[in-house]
Amino acid sequence: MKVSITNRKRSEFKEELLPRIKEIKFSFNRFKKSPLSLMGLTLIIFFLGIAIFAPQLAPPKYPHNPYRIPRDGYSAIPRPPSPEHPFGTTEGQYDIYYGVIWGTRTAFRVGLTVVGSILVIGIILGSISGYYGGVVDEVIMRIVDTFMSLPTLVLAMALVSALGRSLDNVMKALIIVGWPSYARLVRGDILSVREEDYVEAARAVGCSNLRIIFRHVLPNAIYPLLIMASLDIGAMVLTAAALSFLGLGAPVGYADWGQMTSFARNWIVGPPDNPLAYWYTITIPGLFILFFVLGWNLLGDAFRDILDPRLRRR
Amino acid sequence: MKSYIIRRVLLVIPVLFGVSIIIFAILSLFSPEQRAATFITDVRQLRDIQGVIRKHHLDAPIYMQYFSWIKEVLKGNLGWSKTASRPVLEAFFYFLPNTVELSLFSAPFIILIGIYLGSTAAVHQDKSVDHITRAIAIIGWSLPTFWFGLLLLMIFYGYFKGLFPPESLGLNSSLYVNSKDFMRFTRINTIDALLNREWWIFVDALRHLVLPVITLTVVQCALVMRIMRSSMLEVLGRGYVITARAKGADEKTVIKKHVRRNAMIPVITVSGYLFAGLMNGVVITETIFNRKGLGWWWWRAAVQLDIPAILGAVLFNGVLFVLTNLVIDLLYAYIDPRIRLG
Amino acid sequence: MRELLKVQNLKTNFYTYEGIVRALDGIDLDVKEGKTLGIVGETGCGKSVTALSILRLILPPGKIESGKVLFWYKGELSVDLLSKDEVFLRRVRGNEISMIFQEASSALNPVYSVGEQISESFLLHQKRELYKAIIEEIEKNMREDNFFLKNFVYRFHKRIYKKMLENSKSLRIRFISLLPLINRYKVWLKKEVSRRVVDILTKLGVPDPQRIMERYPHELSGGMQQRIVIAIALACNPRLLIADEPTSNLDVTIQAQILDLIRRLKENLGLSILFITHDLGVVAELCDYVAVMYAGNICELAEVRKIFKNPSHPYTKALMNSVPTLEEKKLESIRGNVPNLISPPEGCRFHPRCDYATEICARVKPDMVEVEDNHWVSCHNFLRG
Repeated sequence: MKVSITNRKRSEFKEELLPRIKEIKFSFNRFKKSPLSLMGLTLIIFFLGIAIFAPQLAPPKYPHNPYRIPRDGYSAIPRPPSPEHPFGTTEGQYDIYYGVIWGTRTAFRVGLTVVGSILVIGIILGSISGYYGGVVDEVIMRIVDTFMSLPTLVLAMALVSALGRSLDNVMKALIIVGWPSYARLVRGDILSVREEDYVEAARAVGCSNLRIIFRHVLPNAIYPLLIMASLDIGAMVLTAAALSFLGLGAPVGYADWGQMTSFARNWIVGPPDNPLAYWYTITIPGLFILFFVLGWNLLGDAFRDILDPRLRRR
Repeated sequence: MKSYIIRRVLLVIPVLFGVSIIIFAILSLFSPEQRAATFITDVRQLRDIQGVIRKHHLDAPIYMQYFSWIKEVLKGNLGWSKTASRPVLEAFFYFLPNTVELSLFSAPFIILIGIYLGSTAAVHQDKSVDHITRAIAIIGWSLPTFWFGLLLLMIFYGYFKGLFPPESLGLNSSLYVNSKDFMRFTRINTIDALLNREWWIFVDALRHLVLPVITLTVVQCALVMRIMRSSMLEVLGRGYVITARAKGADEKTVIKKHVRRNAMIPVITVSGYLFAGLMNGVVITETIFNRKGLGWWWWRAAVQLDIPAILGAVLFNGVLFVLTNLVIDLLYAYIDPRIRLG
Repeated sequence: MRELLKVQNLKTNFYTYEGIVRALDGIDLDVKEGKTLGIVGETGCGKSVTALSILRLILPPGKIESGKVLFWYKGELSVDLLSKDEVFLRRVRGNEISMIFQEASSALNPVYSVGEQISESFLLHQKRELYKAIIEEIEKNMREDNFFLKNFVYRFHKRIYKKMLENSKSLRIRFISLLPLINRYKVWLKKEVSRRVVDILTKLGVPDPQRIMERYPHELSGGMQQRIVIAIALACNPRLLIADEPTSNLDVTIQAQILDLIRRLKENLGLSILFITHDLGVVAELCDYVAVMYAGNICELAEVRKIFKNPSHPYTKALMNSVPTLEEKKLESIRGNVPNLISPPEGCRFHPRCDYATEICARVKPDMVEVEDNHWVSCHNFLRG
């Protein structure tokens, strides 16, 4: 008797999930077929590997503070790649290889922290705004409008200069700058879903507001959020690097790609007989940023193609 | 139409109010001592910082400070910028021409190339043209502006021996431009050179513009392209496109006349944000190429804690956004009769 | 009776991720000159695909696989539209064969005025006629107005139009058209075209055509929008009109008006119509012949009287029974669902839902048989007997 009930339930369960499984299979197949998305995933995995194995790839000289790039002397003139310094040294004899390897960790830390926090704040405020409406909605949306009217970098620059120069403050500034677009997205989805019959039905049977938001509203908004988050990890890392480059981010000597690029600013033009003498100081950290951001953008773009019902025609 | 304009103008007020709050919030993040520094003009004042704080009510309740600050702003007094060695408002007009010149030269490229590539990609959806343009767009979108600019400098300034140099003018031309023989009409180098009929200065200014314009265009283009592509794809499936084909119009006419014009509408709606994005690029580009414009000034201000200039930057961008959006809304009404007549 | 359009064994597939959708599985139709053929069937049976396939307007992932669409071009020779090139087809579309669509609101471009959209048809197909008319008009003006300066301008304009008559895309003309003031010659074209637009709108019974043509689609009612769509289609006097459910989204009263309009056009202009609908009542009222479609197949084709008097295919019978009438009769629904066209049933596609199905129906696709004069059915029940 009992067995038959569980069997029945299992088959019912299976039937209920079948369209969803089919959907996931479909998405997965599209993902596999698109070379760009695979490239994105490969890039991310590659960088993840570097970040995880950073202590093995570049053993820290200062174990208590591995993000400090070891220096080999104090001369300003960069030195080309050598067995000792595989990517050479940059201005002030900072080891480029060590910097980019540990910079990968910094990039992941910045990207994931910022976008993670933004997601949480955006979802919470967006849900509140969309679900309760009225004055609350109006106030939150006006705040969102205001933030979105200002260019990210300019606002972040102002915030970092006010908060003080450090990587943590860069992250704080980016969180402050970044949440509004998520709040707006979540709010829009909630507004469109709020009037749907199944939400009315859920309310009629007495579901709590929180439950409605989490069970019925957010699952519908999750794909656009994922797409945006993936693209934003790249964008946020890019902005953080720009801030560091501008001298508003990581302190001097900290393993950070943007900071390493700024070391190269004085060395883009070599001596007259060999104008490209110091190419390694600028090219290497820049390529790391480019490929890291590219990875996330390819991934986000692939997600969009797969999940956006308007774009997937077949 | 009239009520539409009035409605749009009224919508400006909350945004500007919000911007003022943000600015003030940033201001209050600084300690009273840091803020007091902006009022110190004399070494002797250093001995009595608390006195300066009290004199300018920097320890008063936040809302009081907000009102007194707003009062000053409305009077046009935005404070003294130490990085520019002049009042913020004056400094703003001093730096503006260089930035206007840069945006003036980049914007057409960004818009035209972005729209062209976006619509080409959409028309050939899932063909190789589409894949290639999309790949280019994603790479452009992922390029760190500062790095790309430096790379260009390395090649075109270093390797090609000063073919396209940084800064906004060469030494000779900048000496001449600042001399009495040269009339400054707009303070925009290229335009003034034309008005003075000094071709060599015009060519020099253009040479200095090439790299910054390329840098800005490559990075910003990608966004326009992406929006245009998805909007084109949506319009391509609409009924009136089939109607146009059924009329016997050739594919070129269908795309140009029926699809593109409709697909432009979403692009125009977001172009306000594109403009804000452009300002991000301007800050970095001007810093790298050492062009003394607004972006360069703001960078100096942020690094050197020039508080009035930083706040001025935020204010300017808020106002700029509001103004561009007004223009965009009017343009929008021009393209879309549903709004013009609705 | 002369033939106008003959569709033979038309097959259209859609290549989707889930599989190949066999939307049309060998369609045979013919439209006689001056007659109206109705296509009836449920949603998704392939009616619209038929219409689009005839004009080769199927977009990817759709593809016309095989078959012939013979069209008696200029009334003499039959040409296969599916084997002709795009240039030829563009000359046919809107000029010889026009189409009107289900939803007028989406069939009109929101950013152009109604007048501009109608005049596009003229400009696409009747340039030569327009130029000739303009030259005559200019000559008339020259005779009436002898003032030498004006005469000079007239002569210049006449020369331009003569040139355009020879080669409308010559570089010189294109250059001149960009010059301000000099390109004032375009005013003639504008006047002539708008005169024709007013003409066609008046013919369609649109009140105050001068004002309506300045309007944008969103300012017009649904009925008026549909009239505009019809005006676009009829602008160049086509010989065949394909109407794809032109009334399905309209109010009943407006529906009646539009149907009335189409009937009048048919009578006055001698227009041949391929009328697609799911409404049997409309068919009875408007059509001369009916084709009943089911899942990408034609199952019955007959004169309209015969099919209502003597529905022969089981599906036609079921369809008739599912329409409410005034008599007190129990409505019957057809059991089962419309088949999935990715994996359609073998043999006769209707057999899983058919009450008369036999073993052979599941294996062999039935051919069309003529059960009486001008009455064809594709069903094994008739093949055997």
